[in-house]
Amino acid sequence: MTVAPAADGATRSAPGWPQSTLARVGIWVAVGVALTWVASRLLGSVGEFPQSWDVGLAEPISDARGWLIDNQRTHWLYTAILDPFSDVTEGAIEALESTLLWIPWYSYVGIAGLGLWWTRGRAAGLLGVAGASYFGVLDVWEQGLSTLSLMGVAVTCAVVIGVPIGVWSSRSDRVQRVARPVLDAMQTFPGFVYLIPFTLLFSFGPVTSLLATLIFALPPIVRATDLGIRNLPPGLIDAAAMSGATERQTLIKVRFPLARPAILVGLNQTINMALSLVVIAALIGAGGLGGSVLRALQTLQVGAAAESGLAIVVMAILLDRFFSGLADPTSRHDPARVKLLAIAMIPATLVGGILGWTTFPSQLTWSFAGGIDRAVEWAQVNLFDIADSGIGTGPFSDFITIRFITPLRELFAQDIPWPVMIGLVAAIGLALSGWRLAAGLAAALAAIGLLGMWELSMDTVAQCIVAMAMTLMIGVPVGVLTARYDRVRAAIRPILDFLQTIPSFVLLVPVIMLFNVGRVPGIMAAVLYALPAAIHYTDLGLRGVPAATREAATSFGATGRQRLLKVDLPLAAPQIMVAVNQTIMLVLSMVVIAGLVGGGGLGLETVRALRRSDSVGTGFEAGIAIVLLAAILDRVTRAIADRLSPPSAAR
Amino acid sequence: MIEVSGLWKIFGDASAKAHRMASDGASRAEIQEQTGALVAVKDVSFSVAPGETFVVMGLSGSGKSTLIRCLARLIEPTSGDISICGADVIALSADGLRDLRRHRLSMVFQHFGLFPHRTVVDNVAFGLEVRGVPRADRRERALELIGTVGLDGWADHHPQQLSGGMQQRVGLARALAVDPDVLFFDEPFSALDPLIRRDMQDELIALQLRMQRTLVFITHDFSEALRLADRIAIMRDGEFVQVGTAVEIVTNPADDYVAAFTQDAPKAKVLTADHAMEPIERFDGDVGSLARVGRWTVLEDFIPRLLSTPDPLAVAGDDGEVIGVVSHADVARLLAPPARAAAEAAPLETRP
Ligand SMILES: Nc1ncnc2c1ncn2[C@@H]1O[C@H](COP(=O)(O)OP(=O)(O)OP(=O)(O)O)[C@@H](O)[C@H]1O
Ligand SMILES: [Mg+2]
Repeated sequence: MTVAPAADGATRSAPGWPQSTLARVGIWVAVGVALTWVASRLLGSVGEFPQSWDVGLAEPISDARGWLIDNQRTHWLYTAILDPFSDVTEGAIEALESTLLWIPWYSYVGIAGLGLWWTRGRAAGLLGVAGASYFGVLDVWEQGLSTLSLMGVAVTCAVVIGVPIGVWSSRSDRVQRVARPVLDAMQTFPGFVYLIPFTLLFSFGPVTSLLATLIFALPPIVRATDLGIRNLPPGLIDAAAMSGATERQTLIKVRFPLARPAILVGLNQTINMALSLVVIAALIGAGGLGGSVLRALQTLQVGAAAESGLAIVVMAILLDRFFSGLADPTSRHDPARVKLLAIAMIPATLVGGILGWTTFPSQLTWSFAGGIDRAVEWAQVNLFDIADSGIGTGPFSDFITIRFITPLRELFAQDIPWPVMIGLVAAIGLALSGWRLAAGLAAALAAIGLLGMWELSMDTVAQCIVAMAMTLMIGVPVGVLTARYDRVRAAIRPILDFLQTIPSFVLLVPVIMLFNVGRVPGIMAAVLYALPAAIHYTDLGLRGVPAATREAATSFGATGRQRLLKVDLPLAAPQIMVAVNQTIMLVLSMVVIAGLVGGGGLGLETVRALRRSDSVGTGFEAGIAIVLLAAILDRVTRAIADRLSPPSAAR
Repeated sequence: MIEVSGLWKIFGDASAKAHRMASDGASRAEIQEQTGALVAVKDVSFSVAPGETFVVMGLSGSGKSTLIRCLARLIEPTSGDISICGADVIALSADGLRDLRRHRLSMVFQHFGLFPHRTVVDNVAFGLEVRGVPRADRRERALELIGTVGLDGWADHHPQQLSGGMQQRVGLARALAVDPDVLFFDEPFSALDPLIRRDMQDELIALQLRMQRTLVFITHDFSEALRLADRIAIMRDGEFVQVGTAVEIVTNPADDYVAAFTQDAPKAKVLTADHAMEPIERFDGDVGSLARVGRWTVLEDFIPRLLSTPDPLAVAGDDGEVIGVVSHADVARLLAPPARAAAEAAPLETRP
């Protein structure tokens, strides 16, 4: 650690970025490894983080929880504030759900069809009809509506709260300065951890799911409103002012309508995130589609999980297609005919609702769960180790586990003594940025230890690193290809869009089909989940390299490979670091969720704790550890990205 | 109608220091280097009479937009006085300013500033809408103006569906809809191609003949200034370097900067026989046999006649008396390459 300032000084004076960066990084890593090794030898006996140092947040929190339960009936906190609040929100969710259940099934088919027809054309309309029918055919109608109503209330709240905040922050730089870091932080943590604090106050009811969803899904709409209103062509605001419009009139008649497309894009993201969290909320007992998936996964009925999982995907896709179409005001199809049909649907809905034609005709239902189960059985037998060749999902799984995950976990949790680990992280912070980052990282890591979450956290970190390495090994080369060949990009785009619409939880279903349970399926799901971001940011970074710079390289006779290695990749490095940052955050959130399919680590602990109300304290600790880990990983990757920015842009 | 005196606009924090330096004669570049502040408008004073068209021209960055935006108080001037229609613009409260803009003052923008989410008629009616005119009334008025600018039948289209020239007609109609006394134009036709630009200028000239509003018009195109202006102000580095009629500026540019503008000016369209002629006293031939031309006829209109004879033309005064003679040489001298003309003009002028 004593070398850090000197090396830091050397960076400042070292010219010839970026080649020297690589060399420097190499030296640094070598020095780091050597020091770690020596320190580990010296401190070999220290071993794991001492159990006795556990500050035991679990007990006070469990006590608090106990107190809350005891006083639920009598204390003013409940009688005056929390109970009325839960009553109102639960009432709203129930009212929406029963209204949704009252509406006849064919109206949903009609709404989905007409909505997509209007915003995206006839083919999309047919997709809407088919998608809505899927829920009926597979008999997941009620679960679907239950998910939809929880989401509906959450998204409505997000809009009612988020849009005014966005408007406010667009009108005042000071508000924006305060709001921005808060929003950033809200988006850093895996959505799942938001469930934990609210369980303390509201137990496992829908109110907890609603509040967690609200917090998780709020940032996009606030941001979109803020940016949409800020980024208007200035001429229009002048024109409104010269017409004598008041601030209010300008907001309502000019700013707001012009920002509408941007706000709708934000709304679409909010909906997507809300759906993914509403599904995860199954872990604390929210029913709906997420509940079905969870139940099926826990009993390893993969076919049933696939049916419900696919229903979630269908819902996500229909919503995404509709709202992204809505955000584009130039994309409207056959408005007259759609309007006519929509009007015709009103009486049809009323009649059906009054006569109680609510359930999907049972003659039309069908199930493919059995088929999937058989296919999975077949796959687990036949793909496990294809013809005993050592190639297959089984050996692959073992290979990853034995060669990477377990050694890494043991390295972090046992072989490297905890003081060395903290020192190492602090040294990284010091090298990247300075004392403040170093101190912050060390404190965060120490706090994890003090919470008694050291070993579990190291397990999670090991999984994250393996998943991240795999994601980048696939994602960066694919990004290089898509940046170079438009055709590849066009081919891959729809797949990435599709992957990105799938709520994280649902991705567990296909990987479990192939890899059964354990750590590897979680890692594979994390790879699937993070891959689109890795590809996207690599592509973006490489495409951002100015054409003139590339041409200059080519004109000096650089080969394609040389250009890629010496010009494109170094210049795209900051963006690629953004890819790494995004990847690691996504991977972390997935690895945590994968805890519940046998992934172990912090996720499993949290889930386990959440299910038993008496050990909510441990869940809380694990949740805090997840937040701290997320913050550490986020800060480190960001600091690297800052470091890689060309000098001019850096300051 | 418009009175401006001692108007300054300085961008940047060190405006007091920049103000002092500028008053002591430091150049814009020096000030920017030393204080970081940019003197965009420097001690500008002028007045515009009712019904007059006042054109401000200058190179890009000379501060024209800043000036007009100060006049409209879209930005706050650093110091100075502005009076429009008797109102002290600087002292106006937000309400008073809004009132002025709603009833007496309008603006047409370079990039049109049309609202893409509103139809043409709703764009035109915007000013009436914000001042609370009922829907039917404002639509009627807007349609009337849409007709005035020749866009009948386009009322329910969106601006993006119109060509650039048509869009600026909408901008013009929107500005006229509130029936303002004063209209500001910030390079309204610069984004249009030359033929459309001419059409729009003709249109504006015709409208102005009928409506007699007070116009402040910004352009960097000298021929546009010549066509529209009653008076022209030439701006450089935030200062007015010369204010005068087209003829004054063409015949008597204050310095090389102004001369450079007039260089490509179509002088034959501006200057008249009166400028070219020798007084009758210096002519010793017989004027009775010469063809005649009116004193205020522009060169362009009599040059063909002059070329058809070897003789000069006699110039008739307002009462029909011959007051001078214009020869081929006189016209050639007037139209001679400006560098030489300027070089010659300078010593002539300084001679007492
Ligand atoms: N908001 C601002 N902040 C700082 N400087 C500004 C600002 N607006 C304009 N300037 C500067 O003031 C100077 C005058 O700008 P202005 O836009 O008035 O010029 P202009 O004569 O209208 O030019 P153009 O013909 O390009 O429109 C320029 O140097 C410009 O960079
Ligand atoms: Mg300008």
